[in-house]
Amino acid sequence: MTTTVPDSARATSRPDYAALIEPSRVHGSLYTDPRVFADELERIWYRSWVFVGHESEVPESGDYVRKSIGPQDIIMTRGRDGDVHLVFNRCAHRGNLVCEDARGNANAFRCPYHGWTYRNTGELLGYPYNKGYGGKGNLDLSLGRVPRVDSYRGFVFASLAEDGPTLAEHLGAAAGEIDRLARLSPEGRIDLGAGWLQHRTRANWKLLAENETDGYHPQFVHSSIFSVTGSPIGPLYSDNSTAVTRDLGNGHSENDLRPEFRRQGEPMRWFGTSESRVPNYVARMREVYGDAADDILTEGAPHVMIFPNLFIAEIQVFVIQPLSVDECVQHSTAVQLGGAEELNSRMVSQSIGSVGPAGMLLADDTEMYERNQRGLEMRQPEWLDVRRGMHREALDEDGYRTGAATDETGIRGFWSHYRRLMEVDT
Amino acid sequence: MSERDSNTGDAHDVTPDAPCAGTVRVDDSGGGIVGNEFAEVGVAVDHSGNGPRLRLEDYRTGRVRNLDALELETIIWLPEERLTQLLDPSTTRWREEPDR
Ligand code: FES
Ligand SMILES: [Fe+2]
Repeated sequence: MTTTVPDSARATSRPDYAALIEPSRVHGSLYTDPRVFADELERIWYRSWVFVGHESEVPESGDYVRKSIGPQDIIMTRGRDGDVHLVFNRCAHRGNLVCEDARGNANAFRCPYHGWTYRNTGELLGYPYNKGYGGKGNLDLSLGRVPRVDSYRGFVFASLAEDGPTLAEHLGAAAGEIDRLARLSPEGRIDLGAGWLQHRTRANWKLLAENETDGYHPQFVHSSIFSVTGSPIGPLYSDNSTAVTRDLGNGHSENDLRPEFRRQGEPMRWFGTSESRVPNYVARMREVYGDAADDILTEGAPHVMIFPNLFIAEIQVFVIQPLSVDECVQHSTAVQLGGAEELNSRMVSQSIGSVGPAGMLLADDTEMYERNQRGLEMRQPEWLDVRRGMHREALDEDGYRTGAATDETGIRGFWSHYRRLMEVDT
Repeated sequence: MSERDSNTGDAHDVTPDAPCAGTVRVDDSGGGIVGNEFAEVGVAVDHSGNGPRLRLEDYRTGRVRNLDALELETIIWLPEERLTQLLDPSTTRWREEPDR
């Protein structure tokens, strides 16, 4: 392909990420410059592994749900072959959206514009009045297929790059956090079929990704929900807490609250309840896991941000979908665990209380995101400071950088991975 | 009680509870609607003849087809490729040659 833009000119038109991302500070333009967002689409969202959905959302053959990879509209389907497929929601004729509903069951799709039909795996089945194409089966077209699809414990990830690191390589230590969540099910099974709420947010997606494991803000931003609900979570994010913030590599990070829960030594306290309130669940867990059950029930669920868009917040899952440099959608659902009915209904009601239309948790954070985006549009000072806790970080026994509960260790891990991805030339 | 027994009209009509267009409504006779965003078909077992048959109605056009037991069994045994061919719009509704 020929181009009129010389390579050198194109190179200099890209922001200099090494100059914008320093170990202890990042430049404000990273959140406001549309060129940065365009670069991120190419280098992160359309290349790296991105979480799309969970296999439990399409349990039956023919099931489909509309999903996204950044601004791309993706259809996740369960084919007759039993496999999960990801196709772009774009007709191969003249580009209409093929699916409109958020979910449904269909082995075949029909484009509403001129009636072309497709199998739910993307294959073109036919088109009306085929003489216009010299007969049937003459078009070598299909729905666009996502080049790489892989899953871990039912969590389906996609990469729009033909090659690159495997999903296992990308997840690295974060896979163990998904394992921790699954272990809370006596059947080892996670279900994300409870339905998704969507919150449109006028802020850059990175503000959300950074905030998910920022243990510095909860005492301020979430003080009202902590006091109203009598939640024991607040004090876990203070200077007295033994909880830690961990950089898991590849941009992933966690707030590891286990040290606090182990210290307290009360099964189910992580869930704000006690064994006697969920007796059947606890009995089932002891039956399945034996001696290990006490630890599992005490340590609770992970609080992990998986780069770039999957946040597992103990009992909820959030997905960050960027739409433009200053707008994104937060998708959230309640975790449901196979064989844990007593927990599941509670997780739904707790999720409604925190992320529902009148929920208190997500609204608090979103207010901060939107204020943050506005603040970043001010010209001075140009930088954001992310040095908190640098002087007291250490490597843990597994070699992961770990800071105190309120430190910005996770945020720095995000930026060092981000910088690596953004400096790559396409 | 059927929804029609009520004289309060539409207030008692059964409406799909799902926000998406996918609809499955089953009435007392075991009939219902199988619908998604691509098509909507009414399904009922019709007993007006000497034996039962399946009555299918395309709600978007009103076109009806009745299928007997042997025809249904044949559909169940139809190889996948044959069903796929039928989903090519030019094979069935949208073709230049008139129906014979
Ligand atoms: S755009 Fe889909 S059939 Fe024409
Ligand atoms: Fe028109």
